[in-house]
Amino acid sequence: MDDIIIKVTDLVAHYGEFKVLDGVSFEVKRGEIFMIVGGSGCGKSTLLKHLCGLMRPTSGEILYNNTDVAVMDADELAEMQHGIGIAFQSSGLFNSMTVGENVAMPMREYGNVDKVLVDDLVRFKLSLVGLAAAQHLMPGELSGGMRKRAGLARAIALDPELVYFDEPSAGLDPIMAAGLDDMILKLKRMLSTTFVIVTHELDSIRMAADRVLMLDKGEVLFCGTVEETKTSSIERVRQFFERRPDEFITQGNLS
Amino acid sequence: MSETRLTAPEQLNNATGAQLYEEAKRAWRAGAATLLLDLAPTRDMDSLGGAWLLKIAGDMRRRDGEFKWEGHQEAIADFMTMLEPALQMKPKKPPKPPGLFDSFTDTLVNFVGEFGEFMGLCVDTLYWTAVAPFEGRGFRFNAFMEEAHEMGVRAVRIVCLMNFLLGLIIAMLSAAQVAAFGMQIYVADLIMIGFARELAAIMTAVVVSARTGAAIAAEIATMKVQEEVDALRGMGINVVQYLVTPKVAALIVVLPCLVTLGLVSGVAGGALWGVLVLGFRPAVWYQQTLGAAYMSDIMQGMLKTFFFAIAIALIGCHNGLRVRGGSRGVGLMTTRAVVMDIFMLICIDIVFAAIFYYWLE
Repeated sequence: MDDIIIKVTDLVAHYGEFKVLDGVSFEVKRGEIFMIVGGSGCGKSTLLKHLCGLMRPTSGEILYNNTDVAVMDADELAEMQHGIGIAFQSSGLFNSMTVGENVAMPMREYGNVDKVLVDDLVRFKLSLVGLAAAQHLMPGELSGGMRKRAGLARAIALDPELVYFDEPSAGLDPIMAAGLDDMILKLKRMLSTTFVIVTHELDSIRMAADRVLMLDKGEVLFCGTVEETKTSSIERVRQFFERRPDEFITQGNLS
Repeated sequence: MSETRLTAPEQLNNATGAQLYEEAKRAWRAGAATLLLDLAPTRDMDSLGGAWLLKIAGDMRRRDGEFKWEGHQEAIADFMTMLEPALQMKPKKPPKPPGLFDSFTDTLVNFVGEFGEFMGLCVDTLYWTAVAPFEGRGFRFNAFMEEAHEMGVRAVRIVCLMNFLLGLIIAMLSAAQVAAFGMQIYVADLIMIGFARELAAIMTAVVVSARTGAAIAAEIATMKVQEEVDALRGMGINVVQYLVTPKVAALIVVLPCLVTLGLVSGVAGGALWGVLVLGFRPAVWYQQTLGAAYMSDIMQGMLKTFFFAIAIALIGCHNGLRVRGGSRGVGLMTTRAVVMDIFMLICIDIVFAAIFYYWLE
């Protein structure tokens, strides 16, 4: 098996006239936790949507297992998407179904899971994210952190080799956020899943990330391990990871 | 007490899990009250294997048996820690739908509760529409104008078209019935009286409740779901004053106007049939129609529309504010608003019919 699961080359994307991504290139290795970071509005979520085929790029290549996502037709794309899991920022759970039915949905729709085993598999997945007791609750009855974890359980329902996770710890308290990071690390080890995570939580990055991609104004600023960020020659990278504000904001506060 | 000891396979996956399940089945058929699973040999476990494990534990506990495990090694320790709560508990059944008696009392309690809420909304609306503006507590005039434009001006075309077509239909229907008696000229009377008293008001109100009633319910329900209503409350703004009052006031003003237009187009639809198909001269049809137009009929039809307007707006707001859950709740409440609207329209109409055709005759 190839060591590289995703290889993006010269990805350019537009929202109408506005260029969001400008020549982004990077690789994700199989079995690692790869985090995409950057300031607000730098194109992180857009990049994620391109990776999982929800949006089509203007130009460039997105190779997933050596096939180009950018030129797939609808059937191939669906085939590819059945093999990955996506957990959305606001969880994307279906409000009209219980948590258990949400997790069971991919299994029933295209999972080829033995019918007698669906219910137990659902409980297994919910146990992995610590929600075994919430199977029959509606998403509306869950707290924000539980909803995130339920979304993750649905994403890993069919043991995908790759999981995209948008902002796992946004809006969670530090304990819950750390718990979620811990959970992602465990799942990576137990199910040998590759995680591509969009985040801007420095703590998550330090705790869980194998490698980090930093975007700025639609371009790749830095790509490497967390250790390498400390010695990076690029000022902006060190500024981000040392959590220093921009000059003008500091001055604005003083005046 | 009988305890049966099972040994887990080295690789716990779908096939070996199913095998283990068969062994467990045999064990409890033989009367085992406790299953003890020896996980010492297990080196690896995948999701389906884990699911089989949960199935064994769950089935055991459903039979009020015990399920224990021991000897798991490093490699699957994480799994076992995470699975522990699920292995320890009896799998819950999905909650059952309530029985007949329960559902009856529930319905009664819900109905009384909802009726109370609705009355509260009515009183609040009455205060914020009819009293508060004169106490200098403000009225959102711009919002009122916007709503009036959206509910009224933009509904003119569809209301006129529907009434026009209904006029045509009634003319066709009644002309065919009275043709044998040669009384087709009285179709003009019928259409004038029918539209003035009932048809224009009902037809227009139905169109408006499908259009505006649904829009009100969906808008307020979405605002509630997305916490916009809470945001308003948090700013110390009264929700009824801010959201409900402009809509109710606008509909009270706009619906009678729409009904008037509907009346004219309904009569025009009838006239089209009378002149083009039944072959009357326009002046004759015109005179006949005017002769049947009584102010009392028209006023009686108009009086209803104020009540229709209040009902449509308040039911829309009421259902919107009652929404629970997310997107599905919005859909449910919108449907409910339209159904309740149309039901209420008919109820109000019956009351008016009873008053005007029975008591005041």
